[in-house]
Amino acid sequence: MTSVPNVVLKARAIRKVFKTGDTELEILHGVDLDLVAGERLALMGPSGAGKSTLLHVLGLLERPTAGTVDIDGRDAWSLTTLERAALRNRHLGFVFQFYHLVAELDAVENVMLPAMIAQSSSEFRRSKAAHLKKARDLLASFGLSERMKHRPTQLSGGERQRVALARALFLDPPLLIADEPTGNLDRDTGEKVLELLFRAQAERSLSLLLVTHDERLAERCGRVLRMEAGRIAGAKAEPASLAR
Amino acid sequence: MYRVFLSWRFLRRRRTNLIGVFGIFLAVGALILILSIMTGFLEETRRSARGSLSDLILTLPPYKDARRPREPGPILEAIRADPRVEGASAHLGWMCILTRQDESSLRILIDSQSSEIAGIKLTGVDANDEKGSTEFLESLDRVGRNKDGEIEYDSTVGRPRASVVVGEKVMAYHRLRRGSFITLMTAVPDPGSDTGWSAKKREFVVAGTFRSGENEIDLERVYVDREQLARFLAGASEDDPVPSDAILFSEVLVKLKDYSGEAEAVREELGASLYKAGLIDESCSLRTWEEFRGTLLGAIENERVLMGIMLSLILVVAGFTIFAILSMMVTEKRRDIGILTALGATPNGVLALFLLIGFWDALIGAISGAVIGTWMAIKIDPFERWLSDTFGVQIFNRDVYLFDSIPSVVTPLAVGLIVLGAFVCTLVFAAIPAWRAAHLDPVEALRND
Ligand SMILES: Nc1ncnc2c1ncn2[C@@H]1O[C@H](COP(=O)(O)OP(=O)(O)O)[C@@H](O)[C@H]1O
Ligand SMILES: [Mg+2]
Repeated sequence: MTSVPNVVLKARAIRKVFKTGDTELEILHGVDLDLVAGERLALMGPSGAGKSTLLHVLGLLERPTAGTVDIDGRDAWSLTTLERAALRNRHLGFVFQFYHLVAELDAVENVMLPAMIAQSSSEFRRSKAAHLKKARDLLASFGLSERMKHRPTQLSGGERQRVALARALFLDPPLLIADEPTGNLDRDTGEKVLELLFRAQAERSLSLLLVTHDERLAERCGRVLRMEAGRIAGAKAEPASLAR
Repeated sequence: MYRVFLSWRFLRRRRTNLIGVFGIFLAVGALILILSIMTGFLEETRRSARGSLSDLILTLPPYKDARRPREPGPILEAIRADPRVEGASAHLGWMCILTRQDESSLRILIDSQSSEIAGIKLTGVDANDEKGSTEFLESLDRVGRNKDGEIEYDSTVGRPRASVVVGEKVMAYHRLRRGSFITLMTAVPDPGSDTGWSAKKREFVVAGTFRSGENEIDLERVYVDREQLARFLAGASEDDPVPSDAILFSEVLVKLKDYSGEAEAVREELGASLYKAGLIDESCSLRTWEEFRGTLLGAIENERVLMGIMLSLILVVAGFTIFAILSMMVTEKRRDIGILTALGATPNGVLALFLLIGFWDALIGAISGAVIGTWMAIKIDPFERWLSDTFGVQIFNRDVYLFDSIPSVVTPLAVGLIVLGAFVCTLVFAAIPAWRAAHLDPVEALRND
């Protein structure tokens, strides 16, 4: 394997076939994709093109029918379930369209969830003070100082998405995957969330893989890929520039 | 970390879980309470099943050509010679018909509705010998006895008659008083007669009652002096000497010094030595009281086991409640399962998370159920009295059950087993939805729907 050092994610010949009863439906027809460290990549395309499916495969949530996904230089889909779970925990941050916060936990607890999953009870107890501080700082920097103890139902859509963003960033993963993060928000609220997202990406020089329908948004990404019926159309093969 | 934390949080934030906890609480509490009362009843029954029985019972069916001693003396002597024996006494048992009326009319025999007549077990005893071998004398609470322990004749009776001591229920059922006359009828083998049997009938005077606590005995046992019974059966009058061919005894009751330790050994050795000495023959049998009441004790044990199995169904029902609630919860929490997976949870972690919810249910329900159930079982009698007094309805009829208080025996082992059973049951039932949760497709739950 000749993996370029600064490639954080490398997908090759990803195929995904869904079986519903007797009919087989091929959603992804062999997708290649590279993501370089610190790069901002927008994935666009009509609804039903297979963007979410691709994100789930790359995010190690859905096994591809064929193809490989290398994360951190390892072929993720040939690892054990446990190792793959650790990769999701440490290397990947997810932001979904519908926030997906845990209703029973307050904002701070939701943000700390990745650490809770990563650590045993005693480990977590020992570092709890640090976790709490980090979660509060993160929420405060997202303008949620007054919302620490609020539960998801007590938050607005924009606030929820900011909590979800803080959660995705909590363990400082090198790779952030966002599937239409503003799709469920009004324009102004969405803008604010995106500002935070881009700012966090820039500050931490994360690789961001962003699915969006918003052309203006795509313009602010270093590279734009268009997806059509399970294929990436007019892909720029050359490594992306890091410029805004 | 998240498994314990989240399971506890899910449990607390979802009120439906309280139903499951309450179900287990109820099941465990009720099981302990009911089983304790059942055990109490059974132990009480077992105690009264022993009743007038002694530790060892030697039965000697009387028949004409038996080549063993006709008198109980030699056998009693041989038995009492054993240092492990506390005492021994001879009994003579005979089935009789009891009637209050001294009439020979056919009417009482053909009237199926008549309460004037009853079958009874007439038992001949030597009152003095009974001291050492049975609890018989203690049960003779209201009987008139002289200082030698012999049953006294009632002075109101005109001519001397043999007196009897009847079971408390016999007394009540036939509306007898001390000094009442009863007529006993029976048949004895008689080679001289056409049928081989000849009928006997005699009046006795009631000297008192006894209470054994065992319904069957108090309802149909009548005690009489053994030699008087022998005279009755032989056709001799009360004052005559006992005829030489009279049947004198049919069983010997033996009380041991240490029943639980030595019963089996003594039974074996005593039986062998009596047989060797020619005091008993093949028709005789020497049994412990437990062997004697084998069927009853077996039935009691059976009942206890059966009861346990049936009551365990409550646990299954409680477990099923957990199953239903958790299944609902897994469906409700599909999205959360997806999130947790996306954040790095493994299927085993998700499995553990939902198993833990069941575990908390079991922990809270079983512990509180065990505490309340045990407390109720211990306090059931005052509790029942309070209920009866407060609401004026009698829940436990102390006359019917022959017990003065509701018997209840709490056995730590049973409590432990019930709690363990609750845990196993809950976890088994929780395992099914937990397994389902672990195998949910996280993506399906996360798709924008
Ligand atoms: N589990 C599934 N079984 C069958 N078809 C599916 C499944 N998941 C997604 N699809 C189909 O895959 C196609 C692509 O879906 P998706 O990846 O969500 O598209 P996008 O995110 O680009 O709108 C859709 O037509 C959808 O119906
Ligand atoms: Mg989509």
